[in-house]
Amino acid sequence: MSESPNRVTTPNEGRLAAVWDDRAEIAAPLRLHETTAPPEWMDYNGHMSESCYLLAFGDSADAFFRYIGIDEAYRAAGHSLYTSQTHLHHRREVALGEPLVMTLQVLDLDRRRVHIYHEMRHGETDDLIAMAEQLLVHVDMAAGRSDDMPADLHRHVAAIRDAHAVLPRPTVVGHPIAIRHDQ
Amino acid sequence: MAMPEPTAPEGAAFRAYREEVRKEWLDYNGHLNDASYAIALTRAHELLLEHLGLSAGYRESHQASMFTVEMHLAYVAEVNAGQVLTAATRVVEADHKRLRLRSELYADGVLAATGECLYLHVDTVAGHTAPLPADRQSAVDALLTAHAGLRT
Repeated sequence: MSESPNRVTTPNEGRLAAVWDDRAEIAAPLRLHETTAPPEWMDYNGHMSESCYLLAFGDSADAFFRYIGIDEAYRAAGHSLYTSQTHLHHRREVALGEPLVMTLQVLDLDRRRVHIYHEMRHGETDDLIAMAEQLLVHVDMAAGRSDDMPADLHRHVAAIRDAHAVLPRPTVVGHPIAIRHDQ
Repeated sequence: MAMPEPTAPEGAAFRAYREEVRKEWLDYNGHLNDASYAIALTRAHELLLEHLGLSAGYRESHQASMFTVEMHLAYVAEVNAGQVLTAATRVVEADHKRLRLRSELYADGVLAATGECLYLHVDTVAGHTAPLPADRQSAVDALLTAHAGLRT
C-alpha cells in the first residue's frame, strides 16, 4: 500500500509546515499534490484499488495541513486534524503510471471543524477521475476529544475559505449515498 | 460531528469478514490510517459480493463486474495494531443494476466506523451498465428482503 513495508507514509512526511504569509495570494482551488499511479496501487484487474484513491487524497490533505501549519511538531504538541467523514465519488478508472493531479477546496469551517472538497484529474487530459468530500475535526489527542483550533490556524483556514468563495459549490457535496430512481 | 449511532451486532447481517489489523495499514502514530478503513470496508463487501456470486470469478465467467461509484465512511474510533476487525454488512438498496451495501466495522467488537458503498453492474466488454442476470438478481433481492428489517 505504500513505499514503506511497515506503515502508511506520505510524500511530505517530515517536511516542516510552511510559514504563513497573510499577504500571499491563495490559489483557488489549492493545487498541492500530484503523483503517478504506482504498481502497489493496482488491483488484480490492473486498475487502481478503491482505497488508493483515498491514499492519494490523503496525501493532498497532508500537503494542505503543512500549508496551514500542521506538521509533525504541531502534532507532537498534542493536537491534530482528524478525518470524521469521507465521501468518495469514482468517475473513471486509473491505470498504472497515469499522472494524477489533486485539487483541494475549503468549503466551510467553524471553530473546530473544516469541510473540504477534493478533485483528482488526469494530469494530461484533465479528465475528472474522482472527487472526495471530507469533514475534518481539530482534536486534542491526549484528551481524545475535539478542541478549538488555535487562532492562527483558524485564521489561515478562514483565509483559504474566503479565497475559495469564488469557486462554484461542487454538485456532489452534501448528499447521502442513494440509488436515484430518476436516472 | 455527525456520529453514527452505535448499534449492537445483529444476527442476520452478513458477518464473514474477520481480519487482524496489518502493520502496513497503520500511520505514523500507530493508528489505522484513514484510507485503511476503506481497505477493510471493501474487503468485507467483497465477501458479500462473493456470496452473491458477483466477485472475481463472476467477472471472468460473465465479462461483467460490480464497480464502486461511491463510498462514504464515518470514522467513529481509532483502531490499533493487533486488533481484530469484523464487519456486519447488509444490503440496504438494490435495483436491476445498482446495489448499495452498508457496514458497521468493529475493532475487537467495538464500533470503529460505518461505511456505505454504491455499486454499478457494468458489462466490462461494452464498458457500460447492464442489468444483472436473473439468478444474481434473485440472490440480491433475497438478501435485500432478509435485511429489510434490520436497522440501517
